[in-house]
Amino acid sequence: MYLFDQAINFVTSPSVFFFVSIALFLASIEFAHVWTKPKVAGGIAVALVAFVAYASTKHQVAETLSKPDNLPIVIIVALLGFLYWLSMRQAVVNDDRVAAGEPVKEAAEKNRKVLVWPDLVYTELIAMVLCVVVLVAWSLLIRAPLEEPANIGRTPNPAKAPWYFLGLQEILVYFDPWWAGVGLPGTIMMGLIAIPYVDRNPKGNGYYTLRERKAAITVFCFGFFILWLLLAFIGTFLRGPGWNFFGLFEDWDHNFVAELNNVNLSQIIWVDLLGQREPKFWLAREMWGFLAVGFYMGVLPVLIAMTVGKKLFRELGALRFGVVVNLALLMAALPLKMVLRWGLNLKYLVYLPEIQTNI
Amino acid sequence: MADPTVKDRPVQWPSPWPYDFPVEGTAASAPDKVARVAGVEPAPPVQMTRRSAFGAAFLGWGAFLTAVGVGKLGLVRFLFPNVSFEEPQEFPTAPPESFSRDTVDETWKKNGVWIANVEGSIIAISTVCTHLGCTPNWLPSESKFKCPCHGSGYYMNGVNFEGPTPRPLERFRVYIGDDGKLWVDKNMKCQVEQGTCGDRKFGIPA
Amino acid sequence: MIKQAGDWLRGTQVWKSIFRHGPPTTARNRTMVMLSNVFLHLHPVRARASGIRLSFTWCMGGLTFFLFLVEAVTGILLMFYYRPVAASAYMDIMALREDVPLGIMREIHRWGAHAMVITVWLHMFRVFMTGSYKPPREFNWGIGVVLLVLTLLLSFTGYLLPWDQLAVWAITVGTNMARAHPVVGYEGPGANLLQVNGIALVHSGDDIRYALLGGRFVGEATLLRFYVLHCIAVPVMAMVLMAVHFWRVRKDGGISGPL
Repeated sequence: MYLFDQAINFVTSPSVFFFVSIALFLASIEFAHVWTKPKVAGGIAVALVAFVAYASTKHQVAETLSKPDNLPIVIIVALLGFLYWLSMRQAVVNDDRVAAGEPVKEAAEKNRKVLVWPDLVYTELIAMVLCVVVLVAWSLLIRAPLEEPANIGRTPNPAKAPWYFLGLQEILVYFDPWWAGVGLPGTIMMGLIAIPYVDRNPKGNGYYTLRERKAAITVFCFGFFILWLLLAFIGTFLRGPGWNFFGLFEDWDHNFVAELNNVNLSQIIWVDLLGQREPKFWLAREMWGFLAVGFYMGVLPVLIAMTVGKKLFRELGALRFGVVVNLALLMAALPLKMVLRWGLNLKYLVYLPEIQTNI
Repeated sequence: MADPTVKDRPVQWPSPWPYDFPVEGTAASAPDKVARVAGVEPAPPVQMTRRSAFGAAFLGWGAFLTAVGVGKLGLVRFLFPNVSFEEPQEFPTAPPESFSRDTVDETWKKNGVWIANVEGSIIAISTVCTHLGCTPNWLPSESKFKCPCHGSGYYMNGVNFEGPTPRPLERFRVYIGDDGKLWVDKNMKCQVEQGTCGDRKFGIPA
Repeated sequence: MIKQAGDWLRGTQVWKSIFRHGPPTTARNRTMVMLSNVFLHLHPVRARASGIRLSFTWCMGGLTFFLFLVEAVTGILLMFYYRPVAASAYMDIMALREDVPLGIMREIHRWGAHAMVITVWLHMFRVFMTGSYKPPREFNWGIGVVLLVLTLLLSFTGYLLPWDQLAVWAITVGTNMARAHPVVGYEGPGANLLQVNGIALVHSGDDIRYALLGGRFVGEATLLRFYVLHCIAVPVMAMVLMAVHFWRVRKDGGISGPL
């Protein structure tokens, strides 16, 4: 058991946890026809429940779970796990039907229409009643949190945002406030709105399928699972006092001191690599950062359009392709920046206190 | 009005615009259509050239949008009250001798400053973390300010060295008042990274 | 006996004035139910059998709307006791727990809010997985994204109202993002370039965060502003957009299905 605990703490250290999660997610897309089989999925579910039961015997996990505002993240992860299976299962079944030359399940009964009274309204009524029952039970069992009265002079440690913004708070560790607090949320929202206008694939409209729109599902679920919910999960369970990382089963040590000496790209290149002093003029000082960002957002899309994305470029046209590639690159920038932070202690690529901007 | 049969009904509804921008008198204007549907004699055609129509539209919409814009500005101004009931921005602390060397005095943390005697001068450091505005904690044992929100850390002089924060803590103007006490004026601040803190206004010799 | 009473009731003028059709046992009357009831009229008369299967929709959109209604009702009840003033806000929340009968109203409100955030995300996930954002429903997907953001804002503005440590610091961290807005936030890019003779035009006393908080810090004015945002401004915006959202669901062909 000791070894198992140590293994869990190792897996939940930030970089390992992040990459293991990405690998698991990609595997869940690639091997959807295997794990969605009811027996396999049931086995996984039993194993996960057993793990949660074991984990909640651990002091710190129990402590975190006892904070009532942390419960929703567990609920949404559990619900989403089930619904992810449900949608993937139906997608796999539909894909098999298409492969066998049959219409998808939804299309088979496409023309069968039923009266909304009573078929739909009673479903809704039952759903509403169940919802109220769950809410009242939840409210009776768990009190809404109320801490000590507000005190502007004393910051609690750790100070956390509401759980649904913890993903954002996690991003804030790696990015400049204006970029993490304004730029990225705005981009996420605009990117979501843009989805129907850039996804020109006419298939998969109104039924579950994986094979016919694998790329779209992979990208969306990656953003939703990994970049939003996983980060919120990390923020809830793995971030302790001083916003330090702790393994899942580790106790939060309030006196723990982590070395966090982050440096900017200009210092890494000018001072550490070239052995010079940083130039005074900001454009010269930050030229490497500007070059990197310019290459990433400006040149890379063109390169992609000329090589691997040739077919996509032809299908979408320049405008849509530009939007898609830039959104995808921004999405990838988040894990990239994390890797740079973990690997090189890199703080900012471009550091411009002159106009209060950093990238 | 006579009830028109389905067949008689005009296929197209009258234009919602006041006029149809007639080109060389070919198209009938909207009032004509309305008149025809109503079954009365058509009104004399509206004399309107394309240029004057655009001019009128431009003027009209321009005036309308300007009015809306001015109204919006008023709304924005409404959000900023003329009187604020916050703590005064300028307040006395203690005589400068009472701050001993290389210490941080937390007495005025509720006013938003630490008084630090560091590097030979007494300075007033803002308690607002430059990352996202939490209040860092002064940890005397490690001799640093540590923000609990995202882990930014600062030396005793307020200069950042760890965590996500982009820049040092800000400093406020300090001066010796007539009562011999050290006064803090939060209306004026300086930023170390911009080199504006060298002035005597922002640190008096200990 | 009961049947006789029922028949008599259905024969009265009052009953007939309310329900313009017989009991919903025939196809015609079931149609009439949907057509003559303003609330049920949200639905079409007939729907695709594949579309209303629970395994297809998971009922998440409907539950989100229902939770919004629950929040509205419990929220109004809470307003009877709660005063958005720093001196009394915390005590009023305590009173809601200790002194008020049926002391779980705040619990229902808070857990309902969390549940609404969960269901709205799962609804988005379902709509994506079924490809229901594809033409002709592109615009409604956009409306939905805005509604998702409004749901988060509703929850966020409500977070401050208990006026405890959790509330104040979550809002402090959250609203500090506002001060990083380009140009209009005093720590945003470019704000420090707007100076006249060394006096900053955009500073902590006149930037966008000040407008949001009604002050430089989270304080008395902030509580009132967030209260108004939480109870009036954001819900009204959400209601308007919900009306558009539901109407467009109908106009764009109802619950999606294979073309």
